This record gives sequence, C-alpha cells and structure tokens, in this order.
Amino acid sequence: MSMMHASDVNDTATTAVPPTASLMRWVIVATLPGIATMSYFFGLGVISNVLLAAAFGVALESAVLRLRMRPIGVALNDSSALLTGVLLGASLPPASPWWLIGVGMFAAIVVAKQLYGGLGHNPFNPAMVGYALLLVSFPAYMTLWAPPQELLHNGLWAQIAGTLPTAQLDSWSGATPLDAFKHKGDTLLASEFWATNPLPDGTLSAWRWVALAWLAGGVLLLAKRIISWHIPVAMLGSALLLATLFYLSDPSHFASPLFHLLTGATLFGAFFIATDPVSAATSRRGKLIYGAGIGALVIIIRTFGGYPDAVAFAVLLMNLCVPLLDIYSVPRPTGQPKAASGKPGERP
Amino acid sequence: MPRSYDFPGGIHPPERKQRSNRSPLSEAPLPPRVTLPLQQHSGQAAAPCVSAGEAVKVGSLIAKREGMISSHLHASISGTVSEVSATQITIEGDGQDTWQRLPSLDWRVADTAVLVERLNESGIVGLGGAGFPTHIKARVVEQHAIHTLVINAAECEPYITADDLTLRLYANEVLQGAQIIAKLCGAQQIVIGIEDNKPDAITALQHALPDSQPVPVELSVISTRYPSGGERQLIKKLLDLNVPSGGLPADVGVLCHNPGTLLAILQAVRDGQPLVSRIVTLTGESINQPGNRWVRLGTSIRELLEQVGLNIAELHQVIQGGPMMGTPLPTLDTPVTKLTNCLIAATREEFPPAPAESPCIRCGECESVCPVALLPQQLHWYARAEDDAKIERYHLFDCIECGACSYVCPSHIPLVVDYREAKSRIRLQRIEATKAEHAKHRFEHRQARLAREEAEKQARRQARQAQQRRPSNTASPSSEQVDLRGLRIAHAAAKASVKKAEKTLARIAQEDPKQPLDDLEMQLATAQENLKAAELQLAQAREQHSSEKSP
Repeated sequence: MSMMHASDVNDTATTAVPPTASLMRWVIVATLPGIATMSYFFGLGVISNVLLAAAFGVALESAVLRLRMRPIGVALNDSSALLTGVLLGASLPPASPWWLIGVGMFAAIVVAKQLYGGLGHNPFNPAMVGYALLLVSFPAYMTLWAPPQELLHNGLWAQIAGTLPTAQLDSWSGATPLDAFKHKGDTLLASEFWATNPLPDGTLSAWRWVALAWLAGGVLLLAKRIISWHIPVAMLGSALLLATLFYLSDPSHFASPLFHLLTGATLFGAFFIATDPVSAATSRRGKLIYGAGIGALVIIIRTFGGYPDAVAFAVLLMNLCVPLLDIYSVPRPTGQPKAASGKPGERP
Repeated sequence: MPRSYDFPGGIHPPERKQRSNRSPLSEAPLPPRVTLPLQQHSGQAAAPCVSAGEAVKVGSLIAKREGMISSHLHASISGTVSEVSATQITIEGDGQDTWQRLPSLDWRVADTAVLVERLNESGIVGLGGAGFPTHIKARVVEQHAIHTLVINAAECEPYITADDLTLRLYANEVLQGAQIIAKLCGAQQIVIGIEDNKPDAITALQHALPDSQPVPVELSVISTRYPSGGERQLIKKLLDLNVPSGGLPADVGVLCHNPGTLLAILQAVRDGQPLVSRIVTLTGESINQPGNRWVRLGTSIRELLEQVGLNIAELHQVIQGGPMMGTPLPTLDTPVTKLTNCLIAATREEFPPAPAESPCIRCGECESVCPVALLPQQLHWYARAEDDAKIERYHLFDCIECGACSYVCPSHIPLVVDYREAKSRIRLQRIEATKAEHAKHRFEHRQARLAREEAEKQARRQARQAQQRRPSNTASPSSEQVDLRGLRIAHAAAKASVKKAEKTLARIAQEDPKQPLDDLEMQLATAQENLKAAELQLAQAREQHSSEKSP
C-alpha cells in the first residue's frame, strides 16, 4: 500500500488536488466573485439568501445525520452541505423569503442527498433538485428578480423574514433578460424588440458582469485543479454550437450565442453546477458527453421549452443519464483487446 | 532519441533519492549469524538439505528447490548450521568467510543448457522485488520467440537507489549479464530503459556500451514518472508494445530483467558465485548514514540498520521496498532476503498517517493517473459493494497495484488495499471452485504413480527373466504382439503433456507470484509420472521387440 499521500507531501513541485474538505471550501471561495457582483447589482438580498441557505444546509445536514446515527463532525467538516447552501442561495432571486429558502434546502439536503446515503451517493445534484422544486412549486416567487439596486437596504429584513407584501414585490420585480426575450412574441423581430428598450436601464450589463464574475471563479477552479476542464468545455462548446446554429438559421427570432452565454446561469452552471463530481458522469469520456448533453439541453429548453432558463433541468436530466453514460464510456484498459463491436457482454 | 509513445496516467511523487545515492557503495560487516528463510522467491519454498551441526562454507547448498517454480538456497556465511526449522535455516558464523565456488564458465562458448543449469544451481531470482526464479524465466523462452531484452533500470519508486548504484559501479558487468540472457533467449537487441534522474548511471552506461557485444545495446533515457518501471509501462514506453491483459512480456517477444539480477547472473557464470548477497538501499530520516550496502542474505534487519546509525527514538516504521508498493515491517527481527531491495527507516513526519477517509466524490483524479487506464473510482464502488461480477468486468485484474490512485485521492481512500482485498476474495472463491478439481487431480496423480510403479515392477521382472534366459540360451517364448507404435505415440503424448503442464505452471507463477501453485505442481507431477511409466513401457517393449528379433 502507498505510504505516501499527495496531500501530505510538501517537497515536490507538482500541485496536488487538495483533500475533499478543502476542495469544497475552494469551490465556496470561487463563488465569492459571483456573489459579490450579484449583490452589487441586485442588492444585499443575494448575500442574505446565501447565508440563510448555508445555515439551513448545515442545520438540516446535522439533523439528518443525527437521525441516521452517523458521526456529525466528520460529515460537517467536509463542507459539502455548506457548499450546497451557497450554490442554491446564489441561484435564488434576491427577494426570496426565508421559508422559500428553507423548503429548497430541505429538498436539497434531506431528500436529494441524505435520503440517498449522504455525500458521494446522491444521483442528482442537490442544489438543483432544490431549485427545480422551488421553480415548479413557487413560480411567482422564483421570478421575482428585482431590477438592479431596486431592493432597498431597509427592506432587507422584511425580505428575509418574508413579510414584504407581494404586491410591493411585484412592483419591484423585473424580468430577467432571458425571460423578456422569451416572451417577446413571435411577431416581433429581435431588432425591434431590443429597440423598445424592454429592460430597465443597466439590467443587461448587470447580468453580463455577473456572468463574467462566475467565469472568473470558474477559472480559479480550473487553475487550482479543483475541477477538470472536460465538463465546462463540453457544456459551453455544445451550447455555443447549438445557439450559433439556431442564430444563423434565423437571427431575427433566435437569440445570439453571446446572449445565451452572458445572461442567465450558463457560466455559473458550467463551472459550479454541472461540475459536481458526485452526480456527474465519472470517466473523462463520460464527462465530455455529459457536459455536451447539458449544453444542448440548456439551449433547447430555453428556445423551445416553457422555462426561460434551463440549467437546473438540463443538469437533472443529464444526471438521469449518468448510469447509462458510466456503462458506455468505460475506457479500454491497456493490454485489453479491442472489443468486437456488437458483442454483448464485452462492455462492463 | 525522443520517443512519442507513452503509457497513460502516472504521478510525480517526491523522489527523495539524494538521501541514499550520494554515498559510495560499501560492504556491510560480516554478520555473526544469518537466518535464511526457505521462501525467498515466488513458487514453492526450498527443502533443507543440511542438518543442525553441519559445517558450511559461503556458497554451500543448504536447501534445494522443490517443484518447478522454486529456487536453491545457499549459505551466505561460513560456519555451522545451528537450526533447521520448517521455515528457515540459521547459521552461526565462524568469522572466516571461507568460500565454496562453482567452476568458472565462459558464457561466450558455454552451452545454453549449461548456462541455464548454472542459473538454477546458483539460486538466482529476480532481484527487483518479485523474486521469480531466473532459470525458469530463461526457460519460458522455449515457448516464445524473444526479440528484445529490456534492462529495467527505470527504478521509478521514490527512495530506492540500488539499481542506480549497481549501474554506476558495475555497468560493464550488468551489460555482460544482459548479453548472457540475450544469448539464452536469442534476443536480437537489448534496450536499457532508465529514468533521467540518474545521470551518473547513464554516464557509466554510455562508457560501458562500446565494450558490450555481440548483441547490440540501445540506451533509452526516459523522463522521470512513476510507475515507468512497471514492466508493462516500460515496454509500452520503450517499444510501443502492449503486453496483453493476463499475458506476459514474452507474449510480445520481450523479456525484462533488473540490473541487479543481471549482475548476479554474471557473477554466477563468471565467478561461480551463487546468490549469497545483494545490494540493499538503506535510507529514511531515522538513520544517520544512508546509502547502499552489499548485504549478506539472512543478515538481521535490526543489526543492519543499527550499523548505519538507526535512531530508534525517532523511528516510526521500517518499510521494505519503496514507499508506493512496499510493505511496513511488523518487526525488525527479520532477515534480509533475496527480495529486500530497500529498507526505509522512516520518521513519523516522513510518512504521516493518512487523514481519515472521506466518501468518494467521484472526482476522477484516480482515473487520470491510472497507468492502465482503469476506472479506479468505479472499482472502488464495486469493491466495497463486493459486486464481483461488476468488478471483474471493470478489469480489476489488470490493476498493477502501483498505488498512484491512492496517492492522489483527495478523500484519502486506500484504494489499492480495497483492490487487493477484492482480488484475494475472488481468488479464494476460485480456489474453492477448483478444490473439487484439485481432488480429481490428486486422484489422477495417485493412479499415475501406481501405473508407474507397476511399470517398474514389470521392467524388473522382465530384466530378471532376461537374466535367467541368457544362461539357458533358450529363445523367448513370448509370442504376444508388441504394440511398439502405440506405445511410442503414448510416450510422445506424455512428453507433450509434461511440457504443457510446465508451461502453464511457469506462466501462472510469473503472472502472479503470490498465487498458490500446488494444484498445478500436482498436475505437473502427474504428467511426469505418466511420462516415466510410458518411458518404462516403451523401453520394455523395445527390449522385448529386439530380443524377439535377435534369436
């Protein structure tokens, strides 16, 4: 057995992947630029969302571990529940009330993660299970994206406590660029639509800055070797390719690839959501197919489906395909003969 | 020459070789007492052929090989045998160091069979760590055409510098040893694979190369990466050949030898010196004078480490072999064997215990370093679930247990330990399944033995009859038709089945040195009994035939 372990070795130049717990913490660190930028444009509600969701995550994880009679300290130390909270919190609209966050985190931690056996055993991305549940159950709350800087600081407590009157919220909330474009109507050409100035001032650029901040976090993750390039590259590549094809076929009705890339959760999803290793395909070849599948589904659902943004559904749908991908993407070990095609039982 | 071929994966653990490769090679003091285990090689343990009280010289045969995959054992000091137990022989030294050598051979003119027999007599086994008997490896060649002999000087494990020092000081001898093996296996070329972190050894080889003949030798310097010293990985890297799964390098016409083994081969042939000592790397933070020593087999590890300044207060564990694939020794009161290439006396800081294991998050790091392109994360899953059907379909048995996956795992999962357990569990099941088969083979062996004894009896009786007949000078009354042709066919078939049994045994033993071989040895013995019986019957029939003709 190996007496050496990469994380203990300090006299070598090569960078090792940090241990699992600090791996999770690095992902949390990498979310900071995105969260900071979002709260700059959309108000402190973003930060309160993240903090609330993280607190719910840790509390729910400890509660379930206690019920399952598992050691709590070791599991909390790996920070995975904290990370799920940060990711879900960052996905929610800034005006989300506390109970919405609680319901989402319950679905994420209790149902999607612990009921399947805890860290390493969940077939679906916990944060996205929580998000998807909220999206289909509370669509009104989930579309309450305030225009930049509209949610005033003195309204923060009311927002957290969920005591903001919905009518007031409605007057504040604005459509996201993806949402607005989706509902522009078939008769309107894209150029005409944009000429009407459909969004409050600065909305589009705010979303772009946020997307770029997520990209910066993603680059940090890649540089630290926390994630491998396979999933983000495959996902962004297939999304851009498909968006380009649609755009070229009819530029007046389909959104441009850049619009797809820089609004909505494309970059956030590519670096922080799809790369969750537990629920993703495991082999490198599998990861490429998995990422490409997510990218294609995002564009297809955004263009033809009922939801303006589709990262959560695309990820969950591809999570469903992982067992199949894992079977059919096994590399051939060195020295094994090439499998005769169509021969059953040759593949694992 | 830059090579484009490569094996996948690999890691760069810290080398930590400077600790032992800076001091010159020296001879360890003569031990006052040696303990020689009978099992110092793969295959069956040797059988003692001395008894307590007997005087021996250095090089005296003290245990003979037993069965086909086995090796002779020689006294490594001169003195008196003090104890012969079921597992080991102890010799009390007389301090004289008197030698008993075999006659010197000139390998250029000597017959191949003589050379192979010399390897057998000298008890030479692979000194890289697996300990496969060298004369059997030379004979595996009978079944395969070998085109290339690879000298595996990669020495990719951290800490170990035994091959490095061997090459620096004995480059000529190693190359001559390689020529002997090349002659035995008919290789047309010799390729030396060495990692680029051993510049002195590379220089020494470059100086020695012009003198090496008749088979051309190529020196191939490869980049340093663990586990390039794995046989399959090195063959892939040097020759771009893939050793088939479950196969041997011989299947692609290649034979691999370690420099230490080649040196021992030359010493056995040229000097008639059996394998009684080897070079051992003594290193680790707990000793003051790290380096490489010529050590007599059977020397106590505790005494050896104390000679180089063992700081027992700091010592945490002693590892035999390298840190990646070696094993921690449970006690220091154990002897150096033919398999001891390195002893690391490590402090606690040197190899801190792995942090607590956390669940696998399928990050895929292990996959990216696996030199065999396996999916260690999936194997881990199925190994823990004891899903043996799945685990074999994910090619568990292609795992070379290099430990690269365990090294990089961010969850600190001891993956290789899981795989070893799974392997031995599956093997155990197979053994259970073949137990009935084994019983059948035992029965067949008994039948064969009885048949052979019957044939011997028959032969003796006939010899008696013939003797009685001669003085009376009467013609043979035997009128029964002798089926000479049928017997000849049976004899040839028996011969072939012995060959086949030997081949299977050699292959299985080389593939996996830890596997129990008694069933295969039994099958071989059965085939040998059958052959003996057939030989006797044939000789008998021939005699009868000729005696019928002559009068």
